[in-house]
Amino acid sequence: MSVMKRERLFPGDRVVAYVLLVLVSIVMVTPLLYMVSLALQSDREILSAVPVLWPTDPQWGNFVRLFQTAPFGLFFLNSMIMAGAITLSHLVFDPLIGYVFAKFEFPGKRIAFIALLSTLMVPFFVRMLPIYAMFGALGWLNTYQGLIVPFLMDAYGIFLLRQFIQPLPDELIEAGRIDGASELRIYFQIMLPQMKPALAVVALTSFVFQFNEFLWPLIATSTTEMRTMPIGLTLFNQEFFNQWNLTAAGALVLFVPTMILFFLTQRYLVRGIALTGLK
Amino acid sequence: MLAPAAVFFLLLYFAPIAFQLFQSLFSGANSDRFVGAENFIDAVTDPDVQAAFITTVLYAVGALVVGSVLGLVLAVVLNQALPGKAIFRAILLIPYLTSVAIIGLLWRNILDPYVGILNRILESVGLPTQSWLTTAPLAVIVGIAVWSSVGYTMVLFLAGMQGIPAEYYEAARIDGARPFRQFLSITLPLLAPTTLFVTVIGVINALQQFALPYIVTAGGPGNATTLYAYKIFNVAFSDSQFGYASALSFMLLIVILVLSLLQFRAARRWSS
Repeated sequence: MSVMKRERLFPGDRVVAYVLLVLVSIVMVTPLLYMVSLALQSDREILSAVPVLWPTDPQWGNFVRLFQTAPFGLFFLNSMIMAGAITLSHLVFDPLIGYVFAKFEFPGKRIAFIALLSTLMVPFFVRMLPIYAMFGALGWLNTYQGLIVPFLMDAYGIFLLRQFIQPLPDELIEAGRIDGASELRIYFQIMLPQMKPALAVVALTSFVFQFNEFLWPLIATSTTEMRTMPIGLTLFNQEFFNQWNLTAAGALVLFVPTMILFFLTQRYLVRGIALTGLK
Repeated sequence: MLAPAAVFFLLLYFAPIAFQLFQSLFSGANSDRFVGAENFIDAVTDPDVQAAFITTVLYAVGALVVGSVLGLVLAVVLNQALPGKAIFRAILLIPYLTSVAIIGLLWRNILDPYVGILNRILESVGLPTQSWLTTAPLAVIVGIAVWSSVGYTMVLFLAGMQGIPAEYYEAARIDGARPFRQFLSITLPLLAPTTLFVTVIGVINALQQFALPYIVTAGGPGNATTLYAYKIFNVAFSDSQFGYASALSFMLLIVILVLSLLQFRAARRWSS
């Protein structure tokens, strides 16, 4: 890889670049840091007329109160089940289907691929009403399968893996065949290990986006037991609208797992967005 | 191997679209009264829908212009050898990966006229306070949307810039073109496909923006922030007019398909 050296835009532009980047970073991070402050404020501090930038006596007990006031443990579990099952499904199907499209010839392949790509143009919002009606008839509202099934596969992940697999040398597969390995064995032992960076992108994006998904769990669930974190939190805030410290504590519980995942895989993620445009 | 995928996409993409078109021909609480194209005629003439559409266009233009300019500037800045740029890139992406529930609630708290930190700070330094969500509600929604997605726009522009061959810049340098001139006559024109992609994705996302008005403003005050998607949601779930909502949703799909196909055709012409 050749490293390009870009000429400076104007003298001293590095200083300007850093000033700009630091300013924008402050705008990005400050609200989220304030969320931490808010989560630790006392009931009096959240309503005080004097601005409280940081609580005088951080109330770690707010997190205990949060779980006592509403079933956030359950909301969290529901989100984990939904996002976990969908991620697992993407990790099973996306590489397999991507591999078939990248390395095999079969009748109707072109049509099948175009049909697959055309689903990229169908955002969830326009599938939502008919799926809601269908699942209502099936009795799938307020169930885990109801939350999970609409997202079991998506063309982004399949497309990403196809783009990733295509440049891998065919000799890898042929060598496996000459050695008498079965197709399944070639897939699991030769191809799948090559795809690790792309699989990391699929895993991260599937999990984070589904963990954060707002629209579908909002309409597909109506019982408290089936609410996911983002919905549970929003409804909690509607009910306890003065308890901003508890709302912020709940927001942190939702925020932290996705951020840990993001920082573990962020190098791959940037490449993934570049490759497909993602979401 | 492809059978499960075929079944899935058939049942959860293509069948729902067909079903939606079918549903949009019916009216009534149980969607059982056949009305033909009436829902579509109503949709085009309904002043509430027109208002929601105009609000959505204003939102889309605002979010796109501000978001693209900022995203482009940040991409230019990060497209040079800067120590620590991976950290900045990651920080800029954090809001993009944050749940919209958090984003909406957090900003609603910050901007709250009474308990919000912004007004309390303004007050403590003697500046006039604002009830942000009533004076400029749509601008606030645009601002929050830009805040949360500018990192994503930046990554798209960065990817586009990395596809521009370095020789172009070298040739320009030999010709004596200054860096800003290089940006105007090389970077900007060669980024056209990326800019188009950012624009189309931005419009499509704006057409579907539901969660921010739902959480931050409940579409108000009045219907100042009732975006098209939020309108569909209300027609379906508050007014229980499922057939009408299906028609509105189907129209949304048509607009998105047309935009996507335009983008796709242009991208093909550029790449050939």
